[in-house]
Amino acid sequence: MTYLVIAYAFALVLLGGFLIWSLRTLRGLDRR
Amino acid sequence: MRLNKYDRAAAGAVALMLLALAAIFFYAPTDWLQGPVQRIFYLHVSSAIAAYGAFTVVLLGGVVFLRNESYAADRWARAGAMVGVIFTTVTLVMGSLWAKQVWGQFWVWDARLTSTLVLWIIYAGYMLVRRFAEPGRQAARIGALVGIFGFVDVPVVHFSVTWWVTQHPGTIVENDALPPEMLATFLFTMLCTIVFAAVLVVIRYQIETLRDAKQVLVQPAKVVPAHQPEPVR
Repeated sequence: MTYLVIAYAFALVLLGGFLIWSLRTLRGLDRR
Repeated sequence: MRLNKYDRAAAGAVALMLLALAAIFFYAPTDWLQGPVQRIFYLHVSSAIAAYGAFTVVLLGGVVFLRNESYAADRWARAGAMVGVIFTTVTLVMGSLWAKQVWGQFWVWDARLTSTLVLWIIYAGYMLVRRFAEPGRQAARIGALVGIFGFVDVPVVHFSVTWWVTQHPGTIVENDALPPEMLATFLFTMLCTIVFAAVLVVIRYQIETLRDAKQVLVQPAKVVPAHQPEPVR
């Protein structure tokens, strides 16, 4: 069970973080 | 804060992924042999398929660039590589955690795991080349070649479980080895993951487009293709 929780937590953080970082980068570039 | 079309697409993709998570944890039955850890399967395999799709974008972008010198194709390739590496990372890490539970170790050097690690290294290398090479025609050509030849590893990863004897299990989906609820959950998760990956590729493409435009404004001489003729005065 621990490995299941760690696996999905890792995937959520990586995919969610990458999406948020990409959207923020896009907004930053759009503003300039 | 006003939402643009990329924010809305991202929100839709996140909503789909949340639905997929709900199906994985509340609809799919628990595997009688492995227990709850088998639920890693759904996103682990879907991420691998999303990575294949992203690397296909790199391949097509590279081929189109070499044929037409289309810088838009090169931008699609750059976008695909980054998204592909992210999904391959998810595949590798989730797979390792699953392996620790069922095999007793995080990693074995079998053909599937090794070829997937090689895939990650190839496209991480592609990203390094694109990050540090001087932007322009030469970097795009090198990138296209790496993207095209690197893609050779995708079928190697996919068919490794049939070409060699591996500790990694074979193609259980194609062999009808899943009960209907598990199969439905897997197909839905795969669809949602592919949509999520596609949205990411589109967002990264837009980022690359704006970066290229900024590069032209800052250093116009460095991004003009070498073959471009001088304007007639």
